[in-house]
Amino acid sequence: MKSLFTIKSGGAASWAMRLAVAAVLAALMLWVPTRGSDSLIEVCTTAFTLMAAALSLNLLLGYAGQISLGHSAFFGIGTYTTAVMVTRWGWSPFHTLPVAFVLAFVVGVLVSLPALRIKGVYLALVTLALGMVFPQFIKWKKLSWLTGGAKGINDTGFKFTKDNPTYEIFGWNPWGNLRGQNVKPFYFWVGAIIVLVVYLICRGVVKSRVGRSLVAIRDNSTAAAVMGVNLPVTKGIVFGLSAAMCALPGSLSAIRTGTVTADTQLLTVAGSITFLVIMVVGGAGSLWGPIIGAAVYQFIIERTGGWTEPDAIPALFRPFFGWSKTAPGGGLFAIALILLMFVAPLGLVGLWRQHSVRLCRVVPKPAGTTTISVMAAAPAAVDETHTA
Amino acid sequence: MTLLRTRGLTAGYGPVTVLHGLDLEVAEGEIVVILGANGAGKTTTMRAISGTIPRAGSVEFEGHDVHKSAPDAIVRAGIAQVPQGRGTFPELSVEDNLKVGAFVRRDGGGKIGADALRWFEVFPRLAERRSQRAGSLSGGEQQMLAIARALMSRPKLLLCDEPSMGLAPLITQELFQVLERLNKEEGLSVLLVEQNANLAMHMADRVYLLETGRIVASGSAAELSADDSIRKAYLGF
Ligand SMILES: Nc1ncnc2c1ncn2[C@@H]1O[C@H](COP(=O)(O)OP(=O)(O)OP(=O)(O)O)[C@@H](O)[C@H]1O
Ligand SMILES: [Mg+2]
Repeated sequence: MKSLFTIKSGGAASWAMRLAVAAVLAALMLWVPTRGSDSLIEVCTTAFTLMAAALSLNLLLGYAGQISLGHSAFFGIGTYTTAVMVTRWGWSPFHTLPVAFVLAFVVGVLVSLPALRIKGVYLALVTLALGMVFPQFIKWKKLSWLTGGAKGINDTGFKFTKDNPTYEIFGWNPWGNLRGQNVKPFYFWVGAIIVLVVYLICRGVVKSRVGRSLVAIRDNSTAAAVMGVNLPVTKGIVFGLSAAMCALPGSLSAIRTGTVTADTQLLTVAGSITFLVIMVVGGAGSLWGPIIGAAVYQFIIERTGGWTEPDAIPALFRPFFGWSKTAPGGGLFAIALILLMFVAPLGLVGLWRQHSVRLCRVVPKPAGTTTISVMAAAPAAVDETHTA
Repeated sequence: MTLLRTRGLTAGYGPVTVLHGLDLEVAEGEIVVILGANGAGKTTTMRAISGTIPRAGSVEFEGHDVHKSAPDAIVRAGIAQVPQGRGTFPELSVEDNLKVGAFVRRDGGGKIGADALRWFEVFPRLAERRSQRAGSLSGGEQQMLAIARALMSRPKLLLCDEPSMGLAPLITQELFQVLERLNKEEGLSVLLVEQNANLAMHMADRVYLLETGRIVASGSAAELSADDSIRKAYLGF
């Protein structure tokens, strides 16, 4: 395949490209909360929520190869931990995030115990049961003193009062006004930080020796075991970590919306499916996949949100969606999923990897150049004549 | 000194018992070969030693009882396994496969990297393909990778299950030369399962003949091939 540009990995051009991408991202991140409309800020914050959830699922499914249809429950654990602690015990909302993290970690490890013995379809069913039980458990009458039962809990959010500090930079305030008028940028930043934290945790795990052993377990668990990888411990910790990370966006949604109920879509199995589909469309087993998937998903949902009115639909699409009584965003995304499975089973990131070569080829460093110094230190125990 | 000793080793799959009380020994610096027909239980023996299937009876390694140890503890004790059918990790690069082989080591990336380079010298084919996905290697290359990967844990005893499967005769010979050399120069003990009795007998210090989960004969290669009935029935030469 011919490509337009050829650059060397680690060379100046490659760094320039990275810098350019980073600059565009940084500009967007500053532009949206300061200049963007309120609804745009809201949409981005929702997208952050989905990104963090899909990233956490990706660590479990994309890297460790264990499916979960129960991540809505871990999301919900975050939501309800925050809601309960804020309203019943008067905690500051942001102090509940670590508690939610730890609680979801423990529940995740417990769920992983049966998951150690089963895989594939059976694991899907067990975690599906978890996702289905969670809202029922929250609505259980005997627990309504704590969870508010079917009615849910109100006033779970951050309180904006006159006493809150404002963090202005020369009169410019990118976080919004924490004293109560314009708080949407603030949530935007909280969401962005959660995504960053979850991304960094995932990246740290994936690039470490644990990450290699996860892929090894996925590829061939018996062989991984005879290499000394402790399967139960590794699987348990990864399951717990994935669950714990998924609780963070859950907490954020409680803080942001101020009300929680067990029937919120993301707390039901539909939420689990949403995370799963976002992850698959973006690209399972890649760090950027879930982020891109969530952005695309939220974009489509947002764009087609008003398409219940025929007049609101662009003329090109009107014949196809004019009859629809509900917003077709979810359906459109589903069609995108099906199409992608044919052209790029590894999602949008896979599609990019397949076709970006035409645009720009990155030549890896010649093998061996990086390790010469190590070679000098290697014991010369092998004589040259005998190499196979 | 005896490195590995099993007494009455019994193992199987669920309700099926495959091994009926094996007494095996591997001394330090020895190459011991297990021969037997298909389904005799050779692979099962390897799995029982490495702890990947439930087992009964005693397994002693360097005088310590390890029959209750988990697979990772056994690797740490110094037993590495090249599983039958290679079992490389196709989605990981060749280099990362080796790193997973060193999973239990705690002596730092520098020494592990040096060991990797060392196996790259022994298997130059792997060096050329170090950043390639292991799944894209040929069968023989994967077999080399599987052996190099097992050696990355710096084992005292290497369990090798049919390393010659699917290899060209010349490559098989090279592979066995490498094993012999490691055995001579570094005192690596090897417990080897091999279908090619002729080839295996040449390098073996001792041989066990396995039939339906029992040891039917054992002794030095010379002793066994001197016995006409054994030679005709099991060795085929
Ligand atoms: N995972 C398994 N589950 C159930 N039975 C098994 C399993 N693996 C092997 N067996 C049975 O155990 C017996 C011994 O198998 P094993 O793999 O140890 O034979 P082998 O001597 O290695 O044969 P080969 O030379 O073909 O590799 C066979 O009868 C086989 O059917
Ligand atoms: Mg076998």
